[in-house]
Amino acid sequence: MPPPAGSPPLHPPPDGGWGWVVVGAAFISIGFSYAFPKAVTVFFKEIQLIFNTTYSEIAWISSTMLAVMYAGGPISSVLVNKYGSRPVVMVGGLLCCLGMVTASFSTSVVELYITMGFICGLGLAFNLQPALTILGKYFYKKRPMASGLAMAGSPVFLSTLAPFNQYLFNTYGWKGSFLILGGLLLNSCVAGSLMRPVGPKLTTKKSKSKVGVRVTDSGMKKRHRKKSICAKIDKYLDFSLFKHRGFLIYLSGNVIMFLGFFAPIIFLAPYAKDKGIDEYSAAFLLSVMAFVDMFARPTVGFIANSKLIRPRIQYFFSFAILFNGVCHLLCPLAEDYTSLVIYAVFFGLGFGSVSSILFESLMDLVGAQRFSSAVGLVTVVECCPVLLGPPLAGKLVDETGQYKYMYVACGAIVVLASVWLLIGNAINYRLLAKEKLKETTKKIHTPESQEAESLKASKSHDVSVKSQKSKGSGVNPSERETNI
Amino acid sequence: MPSLPSLRGPRAPPLPLLLLCLLAPVRRSSEDGRTPAASFTSLPVREEMMAKYSNLSLESHNISLTEHSNMPVEKNITLERPSNIELTCQFMTSGDLNSVNVTWKKGDELLENNYLINATGSILYTQYMFTIVNSEQMGSYSCFFEEKKEQRGTFNFKVPELHEKKKPLITYVGDSVVLMCKCQDCFPLNWTWYRSNGSVQVPVGVPMNNKYVINGKNANETRLKIMQLSEEDQGSYWCHAIFQLGESEEHIELVVLSYWVPLKAFLGIAVEVVLLVAIILLFEMYTQKKKKHSDDGKEFEQIEQLKSDDSNGIENNAPRHRKNESVGQ
Repeated sequence: MPPPAGSPPLHPPPDGGWGWVVVGAAFISIGFSYAFPKAVTVFFKEIQLIFNTTYSEIAWISSTMLAVMYAGGPISSVLVNKYGSRPVVMVGGLLCCLGMVTASFSTSVVELYITMGFICGLGLAFNLQPALTILGKYFYKKRPMASGLAMAGSPVFLSTLAPFNQYLFNTYGWKGSFLILGGLLLNSCVAGSLMRPVGPKLTTKKSKSKVGVRVTDSGMKKRHRKKSICAKIDKYLDFSLFKHRGFLIYLSGNVIMFLGFFAPIIFLAPYAKDKGIDEYSAAFLLSVMAFVDMFARPTVGFIANSKLIRPRIQYFFSFAILFNGVCHLLCPLAEDYTSLVIYAVFFGLGFGSVSSILFESLMDLVGAQRFSSAVGLVTVVECCPVLLGPPLAGKLVDETGQYKYMYVACGAIVVLASVWLLIGNAINYRLLAKEKLKETTKKIHTPESQEAESLKASKSHDVSVKSQKSKGSGVNPSERETNI
Repeated sequence: MPSLPSLRGPRAPPLPLLLLCLLAPVRRSSEDGRTPAASFTSLPVREEMMAKYSNLSLESHNISLTEHSNMPVEKNITLERPSNIELTCQFMTSGDLNSVNVTWKKGDELLENNYLINATGSILYTQYMFTIVNSEQMGSYSCFFEEKKEQRGTFNFKVPELHEKKKPLITYVGDSVVLMCKCQDCFPLNWTWYRSNGSVQVPVGVPMNNKYVINGKNANETRLKIMQLSEEDQGSYWCHAIFQLGESEEHIELVVLSYWVPLKAFLGIAVEVVLLVAIILLFEMYTQKKKKHSDDGKEFEQIEQLKSDDSNGIENNAPRHRKNESVGQ
């Protein structure tokens, strides 16, 4: 029986010490994963000319990278469940490097899709999931804080990588830049090497799991062999999560939210230019947003960690999403540059707060043990709205000819997602409280019933002795597990 | 923005203007001492010219000046193909219009004919009509109003300019590169490419061979593809857009690097990564060894505790069995 979600994991997380170094490592990994696909768009205009293609064909490179990064989640989860975070992140770094180095030798756009899009995207997937997982292994009490700090890597890396990419291009051209970026991505191997597996208690857990494996293996041999593959996958990737109520609420809410989440950022600069603002000021809006985002994430992480918010973190998450949605709904009221800057500030605040608690709330719902599988499954499902959102928004802009309808639509979608999550989590909290009450009453009753059974069985001689012995041996190990 | 050229036939000057035209040269000639015969020859010459170039478009531009203008007023006009030109200057003054001396100049050269002068109220109009068919006729045309101070309005005629200066193109040895020149709203007759060493421009790509290929998708762009780059190909390249009325050029800088340049940076980063990973892992092994030595004692204690727990468990069960057995019995 999987342990209850809200409780701390089996081996006590350090909640400090080396954990803060791991937060730094996760900062680097998450920074590369989220910022790299966006920062690489700096090269696209020039590459388009060199490869003689249209801009949309080139933009697919970024979409492919993002898609593979999200779709590679389950693969990453399986590997993390089996080998732990460290080897997976190091392999991810090597894959990214390989992808970028081969991209620098490519001669056609298709080769760029394969090298940059697929190989590099897979490497980034191997960076993202393990970084999030290891935070859950190192922190429990301070987990929202750690999560917020680690997620701040994304805006920091984006604001440094984008101008750095421009400098690289001006100095080395696109080939040299790709080569050097490949080298830079090797630094995620350094981040991976910092992700020490948690605690010496890992050895005792291994022995227990080995015993469990042997027992199940012998069981498999007796049953059908066809089911063994499915069972093996299930061992590494917890598909039973799809029956988990909290997980389903989170998944459905997030799918709705991501449809309208990224489009406002992508269209912010074109919207500003459409209002008559010049190119550099429009780009500055994005910088303002990234800057506010950078500080919002750790701050919101800190707030989420407080005694008042932590037990109700799902409500806080829903509120942050609602804030985002309202921001987008009010955006069309912004007419001049100052009001757009104010919108960018609030948007950065909203975006940062949602991103900060995005994975923390999932950890809160499913628990740290199942988080690895959960995040893989969530990202592969979220792949669709993340990729479909911006093109759909673009189509809406093309059809209506105005950006404000797109902003209103995105705001409405995000508000809907927040309301859905709010109601869903309110019900979930109540049902969880009821279940907890049932469990505590059950625990009080079971020792009494066991004693009653042993008394009844004691009437006959040998049979009673045997049965008591079997019951005795059966009761004690399971009691020990729940006590631990 | 120049006025839209419209294909209109030769326009006969309106009647009042015609009368004033007859009057004006008379007035001027009284100041300059020129014979009125010149004014009569001007009209037929103009009509002849306009008949010859009737299929060309007409460009009209005007400048307003006042007696208080401090700086000379200039207007830049972009001209791509031969056109009929009509330039008008108007001068507002509170003083006497008759005392104003009106002249037209091309550059520094005084223009003799083809201009009209008209006065309505307190505004003095002067109009110069001519045709531009070749590059010599391009340049600056100025109208001068001389009262107490000289007021000047200048029309600058230029061929369309190409894009602003671009960033240098960075390529590597053995690669091929495409240099592109584009004109936004104009359609040159022809494009040519040159490269310069110092001040001399040498044509490039004229004998099309394996190394240079010139082509362009549309009339308003040209592409020079250079293959098998070597370090000698580094330098300045110029593309010339040739119009009927002149040429404009654009400069592109080509830089050819060897692979070693970024490779050095890559290897530097790779070495740094390997060093850091090695340091981190060695440090971890070192701290774990230390912990193991201190923990060995603790582990033994833990194992013994577990063993004792197990034995306690069995011992606890045994009395129950005995108790129950005794009860059963």
